[in-house]
Amino acid sequence: MFWLAWKTLYHEKGRFFVTVVGIVFSTILVLTEVGIYLGMMRSATDIIRHNDADIWIASKNIQSFDFANTFPESRKNRVESLADVLWAEPLVLTWGFLKLANGGQEQVQIVGFNPDKGIGAPWSMIAGRASDVKGGRYMILDKTSEKRLGSLKPDSLWELSQSRFRLVGVSQDIRSFTTAPVLFMSYAQAQDLPIGWVKPGVTSYILAKLKDRTKKDDVVGSLRTLLRDNDVMTSEEFVMRTVRYWTIQTGIGMSFFLTALLGLMIGGAIVGQTIYANTVQHMKEYGTLKAMGAKNEEIYKTIFSQALISAVAGYALGTAVMLMSRHSIEAAGVPLYLSPLLIAGVFIIISASCLSSAYFSVRKIKTLDPVMVFRG
Amino acid sequence: MGTILQLRSVSKTYREGRNEVPAVESVSLDLRRGELLLLMGPSGSGKTTLLSMMGCILRPTAGEIRIDGTVVDHLQEATLPDIRKKHFGFVFQSFNLFPSLTAAENIELLLRMKGHEKKTLRAEALRLLEKVGLSDRTDFYPADLSGGQKQRIAFARALVGDPPIILADEPTANLDSKRGREVLELLKRHAAEQNKAVAVVSHDPKAEAAADRVIFLEDGRIKE
Repeated sequence: MFWLAWKTLYHEKGRFFVTVVGIVFSTILVLTEVGIYLGMMRSATDIIRHNDADIWIASKNIQSFDFANTFPESRKNRVESLADVLWAEPLVLTWGFLKLANGGQEQVQIVGFNPDKGIGAPWSMIAGRASDVKGGRYMILDKTSEKRLGSLKPDSLWELSQSRFRLVGVSQDIRSFTTAPVLFMSYAQAQDLPIGWVKPGVTSYILAKLKDRTKKDDVVGSLRTLLRDNDVMTSEEFVMRTVRYWTIQTGIGMSFFLTALLGLMIGGAIVGQTIYANTVQHMKEYGTLKAMGAKNEEIYKTIFSQALISAVAGYALGTAVMLMSRHSIEAAGVPLYLSPLLIAGVFIIISASCLSSAYFSVRKIKTLDPVMVFRG
Repeated sequence: MGTILQLRSVSKTYREGRNEVPAVESVSLDLRRGELLLLMGPSGSGKTTLLSMMGCILRPTAGEIRIDGTVVDHLQEATLPDIRKKHFGFVFQSFNLFPSLTAAENIELLLRMKGHEKKTLRAEALRLLEKVGLSDRTDFYPADLSGGQKQRIAFARALVGDPPIILADEPTANLDSKRGREVLELLKRHAAEQNKAVAVVSHDPKAEAAADRVIFLEDGRIKE
């Protein structure tokens, strides 16, 4: 009956075209919304995920990675005092203003890391090395911010929060959730910025690596007892907390979810309506099949096959459009994450949406009395 | 001439609100191999209801239906499609061809439904089309064919699986008299040459000439 489904769709090309366009639209909308959402969540958690730390210690009641308060860096010693901790390193996160060549300024997210250890350093460099920030007012900017900041020429001088910094390296594909360009410098320089709330002697985070990861829960428990004025989390917990903040507390995730849902509903409605109209139009033929001995299930298969063929065609075209325009979208500064898992997941969702839309047509067949074929 | 289909005191009553309306009342008849039986009668006489019951599409309210000696009227609803598939070929007044399928594909559809071997679907469809004299119209869509040609395709489709019984509901109603005669001739020849049973419902008096036997229905009863 797949054969009949295909023949019917092929014969009614106009209707098939409208259905496929609806699903293409739906696929693009869902992939874009979910892709951008995932891309933004990846940006928001990039620095947490791209280092070797097992445990993050932050100020009390921290909401997300981007909004850290400070606390005394001396607490690092208490962390290191635990026998199961291999190392502990402070990391600064602060904000500053970078003066642009045209006289304007851009707010930047500053990450201060220890260049000797490289914990929290940029992980993907296209010019210079992460350790080049050591020993002075040196900084690394990310290639994705070039559009906003202007040419990132190595060795060029920049004014950052009333201090002059030399650009010694360029990283790539490191973004912040807030879209502010990410700027890396040494931990000591970040503490020394004249503007900002990070001062010498305080830090935003302490990252810890364990000798044995299986003891993670025990160490987290011990640290929570030891550092009552701090939040102690595993890396995974901190990723989840950051994602939850941006997704639920700010409502941003919900708006992406609603738009994606809207896309699905529009696609589903178009498919449902077309297949229903198709079924109603072919009622007499389906009645004929029933009269001649076809079982309901055989006709259901035809209808579901029509929905599935439409879903596959629309999904394939929609995904192809997205994959082809992916680089243009990313070049425009939009963090788009299209993983194979997402692409497969959207296929399942689109197919399920199309199949459930066909359900109303199937109900119509169920009640179709084959006697109707003898009524002229 | 052996009997293939037997109806004994078959009745069908419809319920309209609180009233019971009899459509067919206590009809008994035999349909034999090799004959063309014509069921005639005015509109509303119960011809189509009777034909539907003969084809196991409609269950009788009372009475007994036997196909080749086996009682089928009490069988479960789910088993009826298989009985129809195995024993019957249908020809309809409005042809009921799939507009999205060509002449050959309309026949292929039934072949597929009846589980015919996939490799020989096309060849079998062409053979049946040739049998009804339409081998030059295999790739035509129904919209591009005349009424007579469509009815011949519908007849070829009814022959799929070589069923022992062909039931035709007003097969000449949408045809001019010449094409109508041709279709009746096809049905008659099929009954005689293939030793199959053919029952035709019609109110066309010209159909009588093709019939081996005629039964008149009036108000749901056989008129003696």
